[in-house]
Amino acid sequence: MNNPKKVEWSKLDNASKYFPATCDERDPKVFRIACELFEDVEPEILQQALDITIEQFPSYKSVLRRGIFWYYYESSDIRPTVKREEKPVCAPIYRKYEKNLLFRVFYNNKRINIEVFHALSDGTGALWFMMTLLYHYLLIKHKDAFLDKKPELNYNASISQKKDDSFSRYYQGRHYKKQAKVKKEKKNARKVYLIRGSRLEENRIKVIEGTMSAKAVLDEAHKFNTTLTVFLSALLLLSIYKDMPVRKRGNTLVLAVPINLRQFFESETSSNFFSIMNIPYTFDEGNTELKDVIGKLNESFRKELTEERLYQHLHRLMSFERNPFARIAPLPLKNLSIRGVNAVADRGVTTSISNLGKIHVPPEFDSYIRQFSVVPNVRRPQMAICTYGDRLVINFASPFRETEIQRFFFESLANMGIKIEIASN
Amino acid sequence: MIFCNHCKVYIRDGKTICPLCGNILSDNDNDVKGEEIYPDIPLTYNRHMVIRILVFISIVAIVVSYTVYKMVPVDVNWPGLVLLGLVSIWLSLTNILRKRHNITKSIMWQVIIVSVLTVFWDWRIGWRGWSLDYAIPILCIAAMLVMYITAKVMKLSAREYISYFLLGGLFGIVPILFILFDLVNMSIPSVISVAASIVFLSAIIIFHGDSIKAELQKRMHI
Repeated sequence: MNNPKKVEWSKLDNASKYFPATCDERDPKVFRIACELFEDVEPEILQQALDITIEQFPSYKSVLRRGIFWYYYESSDIRPTVKREEKPVCAPIYRKYEKNLLFRVFYNNKRINIEVFHALSDGTGALWFMMTLLYHYLLIKHKDAFLDKKPELNYNASISQKKDDSFSRYYQGRHYKKQAKVKKEKKNARKVYLIRGSRLEENRIKVIEGTMSAKAVLDEAHKFNTTLTVFLSALLLLSIYKDMPVRKRGNTLVLAVPINLRQFFESETSSNFFSIMNIPYTFDEGNTELKDVIGKLNESFRKELTEERLYQHLHRLMSFERNPFARIAPLPLKNLSIRGVNAVADRGVTTSISNLGKIHVPPEFDSYIRQFSVVPNVRRPQMAICTYGDRLVINFASPFRETEIQRFFFESLANMGIKIEIASN
Repeated sequence: MIFCNHCKVYIRDGKTICPLCGNILSDNDNDVKGEEIYPDIPLTYNRHMVIRILVFISIVAIVVSYTVYKMVPVDVNWPGLVLLGLVSIWLSLTNILRKRHNITKSIMWQVIIVSVLTVFWDWRIGWRGWSLDYAIPILCIAAMLVMYITAKVMKLSAREYISYFLLGGLFGIVPILFILFDLVNMSIPSVISVAASIVFLSAIIIFHGDSIKAELQKRMHI
């Protein structure tokens, strides 16, 4: 019998624990980041770049396994390979009994795409992986152009920083709650509106990608004294309102907004570190103007994005994981209860908007990259936004065939005189 | 780029129908040909056709056997055996299919499922004791052999098989209960199974003790 290699394994961070329990064929918890170049992608070079990049992100080499009490990552020697795009957008990655890597890299014409199982990383973490991949790709592809001056990659976290479980780093322990005065939230009495529609075959998702000038949209937002995210959130809520059946118009719309916690707590982790805030909004008589919605959202965003609220979120997320009874429950039981809690929580969310923010690349790369685009994991019709240079890309993804809300949304932007380019699957 | 007059947007990827409103796009100033951005992925049909056919055949077989039994009654309840047989096959088969990516785990589960089934069969057809006398001990011995051979042939690393080896070995000791509680008429297969398990277990603990410890730590972390 030969000597076994030392097994490297690690625990999942707090948010990651939720995804394997709740993923299924309908909602595989996979998101995509795409980068569109000005020229066709060369697969061999992309493969070389991937081989280098993967060594810098060891967690991307792991597979997800099931223990008795928790899931865990186990290092593997599977080599990721670059493929041509041949699967539907955000097709399932993690399957219960298979040992596969938790991400895929593929290309189509001018686009480099990565799709990631959400337990591995959140949008920001995956974006760092993408930037590193892109960096190596362009450096190999255009060797001659960068002979004298090698561009500098602006993400230089050490391996241990990348692997950091920032949830547990900023968790203040069980007694935190006693000090902080916890305001019981007013229970929302009204029913939450859920968007209905007919599902696409094979649980596919419909992606409508709108590209426009970031400056033009920001100018519009500034007219209302607000930020890009709030402005687009308000437009999204209004579009949903227009599509609502009249008898349900009294229902509350709840907008889920993921918050990148790296902005508030110092962290360079490439795994998950985010929290979600739920913003309710009810259209009553007379507040169906964009101005009204923005005013209310501005206030809600400000209230939610305080250090105290963020700590409360973090605490709530962590206290479940640290609960001794929850810890000794066997994994299938845990999964069952997480799924139950999740099913209830899902009924309290109408849509979601996630803004990955402004993407920075070394200035030398500007002439090679046209735009970035993010497709969120889709549980309901929802939106992901990212900006690169002046190109603002809004991806509207939905599990339903109907495109009314999408049409209202892009139409209202177009009516402001913004030129929108649409692509779709 | 083509312009959709309804939605006031430009269509980048050369589609002929506007993805927002579903109207057919007219070729206005179509100087730049749109380029495919999201490729068209055809639907995959008939993925589980074989399974579907097998399920259908199984149901037909059960219905037909009960119908024939009603029309031509005999002393033996043979449709019950058909049903039991099919249930056994399906239990086994689904387990193999679901766990096909982890062969040693699949073998371990087979041993447990088949053991339970043999006891059940033995009991249904008038307890002659063959399940405990022969079936289970032989199954245990066979499982240990098969697991060892697959691990070697497929060049599995220790961490992939070690916990199932451990379980297999422990399971092989169970027939000692048959002897202690005097449940068997023929004790030789049980004795061999227990002896083989002890040898097997001691071998993996002595040679792979560290791996077992690491594996257990990993799988049992709280």
